[in-house]
Amino acid sequence: MLDVFAQTGAAGFEQFLLLGLVMGSLYALIALGYTMVYGIIELINFAHGDLFMLGGFLAWQLAWTLGVRTLDASSTGAVVGAVALMLVTAPLACAALNVATDRVIYRPLRSAPKLTVIVSAIGVSFVFMNVGSLWLGTSPVKFPDLVPDANLVTAAGVRFTWKDLMVVGVTVPTMVALTLFVKFTPLGKAMRATAQNPTAAKLMGINVDRVIAVTFAIGGSLAGVAAVVNGLYNKSVHYQMGFQNGLYAFTAAVLGGIGNIPGAVLGGLVIGVVGELSKAYLGTKWSEAVVFTILIVILVFRPSGLLGARTREKV
Amino acid sequence: MSAALLEVTDLEAGYGPINVLHKLSLRVDRGEIVAMIGANGAGKTTTLMCLSGVVKARGGKVVFDGRDLVAERVPAHNIVRLGLAQSPEGRKIFSRLTVLENLEMGAFTRADKDGVRADIEKSFVMFPILRERQHQAGGLLSGGQQQMLAIARALMARPKLLLLDEPSLGLAPQIVVQIFDVIKELNRQGMSVLLVEQNARMALKVAHRGYVLETGRITFTDTGETLLNDPRIRAAYLGE
Repeated sequence: MLDVFAQTGAAGFEQFLLLGLVMGSLYALIALGYTMVYGIIELINFAHGDLFMLGGFLAWQLAWTLGVRTLDASSTGAVVGAVALMLVTAPLACAALNVATDRVIYRPLRSAPKLTVIVSAIGVSFVFMNVGSLWLGTSPVKFPDLVPDANLVTAAGVRFTWKDLMVVGVTVPTMVALTLFVKFTPLGKAMRATAQNPTAAKLMGINVDRVIAVTFAIGGSLAGVAAVVNGLYNKSVHYQMGFQNGLYAFTAAVLGGIGNIPGAVLGGLVIGVVGELSKAYLGTKWSEAVVFTILIVILVFRPSGLLGARTREKV
Repeated sequence: MSAALLEVTDLEAGYGPINVLHKLSLRVDRGEIVAMIGANGAGKTTTLMCLSGVVKARGGKVVFDGRDLVAERVPAHNIVRLGLAQSPEGRKIFSRLTVLENLEMGAFTRADKDGVRADIEKSFVMFPILRERQHQAGGLLSGGQQQMLAIARALMARPKLLLLDEPSLGLAPQIVVQIFDVIKELNRQGMSVLLVEQNARMALKVAHRGYVLETGRITFTDTGETLLNDPRIRAAYLGE
């Protein structure tokens, strides 16, 4: 889990709320990848969390190869350059890997029963995880600490560091850009149309396979962005981190209403806040139980999620 | 240029191990309204989906505007670009897109923004209710309004041939009359139409020619009027 409890010390409610929102925006970024792919081909892409992990490993590899390993030993220019390079390369690589996975594994199964595709996604998840363990081993690996921990606010009892600012500064514009893209561009509209009715989309002249590929590309690149931000924030990567973060993000997507883009953002923020508050007030060991209880409660009582109320189609 | 805009010969199509269409042949000439009538499960929708490329043909020829769509394996998303658009059975409106966005999707293949805007205006003149409700989600429209939107959306592609699948399905009689008036008017302006209907009487009244489809085979074909007066058709499809 993304453990930031140690830094907070004896902080108050506002502090945990703030931390929750920071973590939540990270979950939201990953949740968007789940929800967009589900929205368009009704696949719970269980490999998505592991894609996020591989993105984190790639970012680590870049920093390591470039020799940018600590804040003190590198010039500001080198740090900014390395972070910028990570933020470009990891999303591109994750997008490419996600599209390739769809092309090679999910697309041939497009007309197969849904369970077949989901089991394949679980298989891909294990493959990715094993690639990760071969790449950096099975112990947590220290990620270069490149963003300062200096506090930016003067209010008593609340810490908001450069790291927090980085998370918000990267995730919020990314989500705004995605929302604008999906809402206003022809390709974005084609994505929504395909998600709502693939047959009708074909009849409009929309190349559905291409739209699906674009969706995997966007979902993958969001996972790549999240991976870089997560590495820099938590200063550690691990081959199993995709599993846990992926489940949190999946819970966020279901909470918001799977297939619903604003829902994934809302769900991410709620899960982040609930996760941090339960850590603070119930103890770290209860946090997962609380989050997954939310998943169960939502699935039982409101499977369409908070924002997932669909307009019924008339016949 | 031959008179036939669409010439289907020995078309075979189906799902899994089952063949639905058996050597189906039909023709639509430029400027014609052609009706295809038949019972549930006869293969009417499969025929149209096959023409639009959504269901793959297993054999035969579909020559549209001089090009064989089957032999050339034209994918569904390119068939619209050739000038063949469909208003599908059950409307298939994008329920969470607005009425306006639904119309824009109909023009997805077009790059001429001014032309698209002019055509949206035309659909609003044709169906004024769509103008009133242009910013509402498509799923909130009534059945009749959704049918109007589905037809307007298909027309946004500026097709040479308009395929209409069951435009009267589930609609109140006065709405059905309104929809068929629009079909006649479109045809008067030069649009060729292939109309699939269970409402055989309405369809044969507006059609120049008609085909009767039974379990994937064409069993009768003649002018709309002759079919309308044929005692066998009257007994089987007009409830007399």
